[in-house]
Amino acid sequence: MKITDAAVYPYPIGDASVRRLALEAAALGFDSIVAVDTPSGTYGGVEVRSGLMIRDVPVKDVISAVKRSKDSGRVISVNAANNNFNRAVIGLKGVHILRGIQSADKLAFDHVAAKMAADNRVAVDIDLSPIIMGRSVARQRAIHRYMDIMVLEQRFEFPITLSTHARSVLDMRNVRDIAGLCSLIGMDVPDVERALAGVGSVLTPPVPSVRVIA
Amino acid sequence: MSIRPPTLREKHRYILARIEPAGTLLEQKELYYAISDATTSLWGDATTAIITPAVVALEYGHVVIRCRRGTERELAIAVSTVTACRDVRISLRIIAASGTIESLRERFRPKKIPKIKSEPEKTATGTDSGEEHVLPECSFAKKTFLVLQCNGHKVDVIEKGFKNTNRLFLTKDDLEDLNATTISDRI
Repeated sequence: MKITDAAVYPYPIGDASVRRLALEAAALGFDSIVAVDTPSGTYGGVEVRSGLMIRDVPVKDVISAVKRSKDSGRVISVNAANNNFNRAVIGLKGVHILRGIQSADKLAFDHVAAKMAADNRVAVDIDLSPIIMGRSVARQRAIHRYMDIMVLEQRFEFPITLSTHARSVLDMRNVRDIAGLCSLIGMDVPDVERALAGVGSVLTPPVPSVRVIA
Repeated sequence: MSIRPPTLREKHRYILARIEPAGTLLEQKELYYAISDATTSLWGDATTAIITPAVVALEYGHVVIRCRRGTERELAIAVSTVTACRDVRISLRIIAASGTIESLRERFRPKKIPKIKSEPEKTATGTDSGEEHVLPECSFAKKTFLVLQCNGHKVDVIEKGFKNTNRLFLTKDDLEDLNATTISDRI
């Protein structure tokens, strides 16, 4: 099980180099990070996975972007939009993570989308930056949405990932802080552990429940 | 007014946190306001009154925060949401919690090392002879930067010039200038 921060933004988007983010992640207790638009590698004992973020595009463009990045080993994430878009994206083979649920509309992720995510092993990302940096209504709304996601997760057991969306080393938090922040949305320690290992679980192919041996 | 006996006093716990980025100059009162604001924002006035956060020490880049016993978890969560102190971006990394301040001080106080030779201390410019303090330069992404802080492999730099004063967080391996990789750890 690899403890992974599912999204960080190195230089030039952020103000820290990918090596520095990896060093910081190691100090904070992470085994790997997903760095957006950065080649993969290993720095300071921390595995850096390359991430692709697809946002604000129609489904047609998502399909072509996923096709282009197929077999590249990148972690492909799509920003959530309305319900139809989310269902279409979750159904696509090659999409790993659905992000930005807290910014999408209230009905964007319902029980049908949750069931599809569980069947297709598409993770839903819990972005901790609105809880860390947000104040007042923005934070309240994010906590409410995440609590709603957790209710669906308990029922359908789709994968969850946790990310700080750090653009700087100052935005990163250690694993204990993340567990504390996740307790605000009703996640207990086993839930947090499972969520921190979420990236690894969506990238490894599922083991079939029935195996033909003869 | 007589002092309450120990059994009737409030029990406190102390949380030690490291201030990042290293070398940030903060005032104790300002940091208290930042922590108090974060706690109130997250838990509300009623719970903050129970937590009663207070900054009791700010030394060597570390802060000791006091809270009521049993509320360490709530305070730790609130502290992790502190992102700035009077427009200066900071992050507080919690190191430990304890029942006494002194046991926390032992963790961050620099240990006294007996001096073998009485050499003048070297700085970035050379010696402490009243020369103007000049920060070493390095280059990254085809730009020239001034090195603000160097700790092990970690190097904090700022772009040369007065227009862009944002701090960049790099490592020695990132620097293109070979001379910069040999800069001293203590700037």
